[in-house]
Amino acid sequence: MKICVDLVRCQLHGQCAIAAPKLFSFGEDGKLQWVEQVDESARREAEEAADVCPEQAITIED
Amino acid sequence: MSETAVAELPFLNLSDPSFSIRSQAVREARDQSWCARTPYGLAVLRYEEVGKLLRDPRLRQGSYAWPAHNQATGRFAEWWLAMLLNRIGEDHARLRRLANPAFSPKLIGALKPKFEALAHELIDGFAKRGTCDFMAEFSEPYATRVICILLELDQSEWRNLADIAGEMGLALGVTYKQDVARVNAATDRLYNYVQRVIAERRKRPPADDFVSLLLQANENKDTLSDQELDDMVVLAVFGGIDTTRNQLGLALGMFIDNPAQWQLLAEQPELARPAVEEVMRTRPTTTWVTRETMEDITVNDLPIKKGTTLHLFAESAGTDPAVFTPGFDISVKRMPHFGFGGGTHHCLGHFIARGDMTEALRILAQRIRNPRYDGAATWLPDSGNTGAVKLPIIFDPEPT
Repeated sequence: MKICVDLVRCQLHGQCAIAAPKLFSFGEDGKLQWVEQVDESARREAEEAADVCPEQAITIED
Repeated sequence: MSETAVAELPFLNLSDPSFSIRSQAVREARDQSWCARTPYGLAVLRYEEVGKLLRDPRLRQGSYAWPAHNQATGRFAEWWLAMLLNRIGEDHARLRRLANPAFSPKLIGALKPKFEALAHELIDGFAKRGTCDFMAEFSEPYATRVICILLELDQSEWRNLADIAGEMGLALGVTYKQDVARVNAATDRLYNYVQRVIAERRKRPPADDFVSLLLQANENKDTLSDQELDDMVVLAVFGGIDTTRNQLGLALGMFIDNPAQWQLLAEQPELARPAVEEVMRTRPTTTWVTRETMEDITVNDLPIKKGTTLHLFAESAGTDPAVFTPGFDISVKRMPHFGFGGGTHHCLGHFIARGDMTEALRILAQRIRNPRYDGAATWLPDSGNTGAVKLPIIFDPEPT
């Protein structure tokens, strides 16, 4: 499955990096970086990140 | 790089009890600079800088310093230092991950009919009369009973919980020093109540309400200690009541001042959701949040020393003319506001708050037509966490 982030909506709060630190983090430049292709074992973490995003900018495509 | 001199910045006297975040002085300071000096740290006034600094990892939440600044001691100060908002790093992340599922946006669908029924029940109490004290008869019971619904507490307890939240809230007001005994006594009462609820909930089969979810985590004390469990439930009760209570009163005030917008909301109930955002942009109860620099930083050529308090003005940023066209208009698409703070400590309960306030405003606009002030409203100071104390209104009575 694929993790998508709408960078127009994203306000860089970083709640995804708290909920799913293995999938989301901030680079040295302060930009959000994330693992795009993940397997089924990471579904729960990915869904939690999508769930907590205050701007609801994260979607998961199967 | 040329360094901006701090002495050239405008000055705002935040310590003055009559200081207002909506004053001409703040507007003029914002025209002059993105930042102003205050008796205690710097105030950040414009949208772009407030947004950036809210999320800057070199800053920490500033509210942890509250007990030290106020020489505060006792139960409230102990809880304040221990609770989620004032934790940092991995410790904060662990507690936040535990609390998140209980505030998920997925819950809103199931809660919406309960919010709707509650709003109607409260409005039934005064709709035919054509007058009410909006705070006592709507926003306070509504905000408190929403928390009861969310935490599955006995709704008949709402009066007691509202009183406790109100008295604990005095801690964050300007009269704290004379209220300290009441603040600590109320905090004791809330801990006693919360511990009773937890003991009773332990006897029930596992469920998916907030307290039960935390209890499951508490089975491993390293995941969530007994003390952290109590602190978290105290935060959910205290944090959810006063804020929503105040925000709903501020919302009604904005609509009384802008009657055409209330009419528009009554005609187009789907605007209730954007209405919540527009109210929080222009009249947030949390007028500013604080941060503290954890290292020396430079912002727009201004050097800021480690340990400096920054007051990030949500209302001033939300009405910054560089970003927003003037006025209060629920039908205009706006940039995100900072009424729920932002970054690591972004309000935990915002999906619930947005959901319950949407239902409240939608139904109020349907049933409370042509609302006006009925005599003078009493307001908290226009700084810190603000809102109405009393908000007597008059409106077109519903036909009997």
